[in-house]
Amino acid sequence: MIFQILLIAFALFAITITTKQYRLRKVSLYWFISWTLLWTIVIVVALIPQATDPIAQLVGIERGADLLVYVAIVVLSYGLYRVLVRLEKVQKEITQVVRQVAINKAEKSKGHE
Amino acid sequence: MTIVAVIPAYNEQSRVAEAVRDALLYVNYAVVVDDCSSDQTSKNALDAGAIVLRHMLNRGQGASLQTGTDYALENLKADIIVHFDADGQMQGSDIQELIKPILDNRADIVLGSRFLGDSIKMPLSRKLVLKLGMLFTLCISGIKLTDTHCGFRALSKKSAKDIVITRDRMAHASEILDLIKVYGLRFVECPVTIKYSPEVLAKGQSSWGALVIVKDMLKSKFLDV
Repeated sequence: MIFQILLIAFALFAITITTKQYRLRKVSLYWFISWTLLWTIVIVVALIPQATDPIAQLVGIERGADLLVYVAIVVLSYGLYRVLVRLEKVQKEITQVVRQVAINKAEKSKGHE
Repeated sequence: MTIVAVIPAYNEQSRVAEAVRDALLYVNYAVVVDDCSSDQTSKNALDAGAIVLRHMLNRGQGASLQTGTDYALENLKADIIVHFDADGQMQGSDIQELIKPILDNRADIVLGSRFLGDSIKMPLSRKLVLKLGMLFTLCISGIKLTDTHCGFRALSKKSAKDIVITRDRMAHASEILDLIKVYGLRFVECPVTIKYSPEVLAKGQSSWGALVIVKDMLKSKFLDV
């Protein structure tokens, strides 16, 4: 019971934050909708945990809670992978900028001038 | 014929000047890429007669080599680029032998080898790590070399344009070998003398660095964007 309340509270908190950020145009509409949808599902599942059982059984998993854990792991792993790829890209872009600045500001000793 | 030495340097204030002067005896320009050193590396290199490019953030040796190469090709119209170290491990006098195969049009890239030449005081552990590196490279890049991670190289203009280093950190040496294969560049090895002084060993890559290189390479295979 306590866990359910905490989970719902956190979901509401997440939705509030996203809404605020969307109003301030800090996140896209796409991000706002998918994020809100995700946390709404969390609230529904927290209130009626049995609701996920039929879906779980459909894919051959006994309990809905188990299904959620599996899905969460896959989604999180994918998200992490995406972030790593993105990070690598940003690193390369930083190098490009640093390189360009270094070349533009080349310092020569007197002999070369 | 313009020959340019590209010298990546990170906190090498005590040795960079000597390396620059040594290199300048055999090349037209020495380009020192100061990878955001916190000491007097830039100033000392400049005083010794080098052209200095400063990274405002530390980007690694691979990134530094590429910065120097870009500059040498674009601004100095280099015909031959020599990768040289700032720490005095390498001998400028080896440059003549290193660039010979390119001048004779026998090779596009010449790789220095510590095992063909005299490595002064190379520790046994280092030797073993390098032999493993050789095996690893043979498996990954399909190139058979006596020494895969010696930083002493000479590149013709063509190969310097083909070989664009994207591995900013230490895996660039393996990347260069990969690209030799990809572009079908003609390569030869040339014996070079590398000095292993206690000072160099203390500051340089430890043998554990080899593991970091392997990690970087594997990462790059998965994360290429």
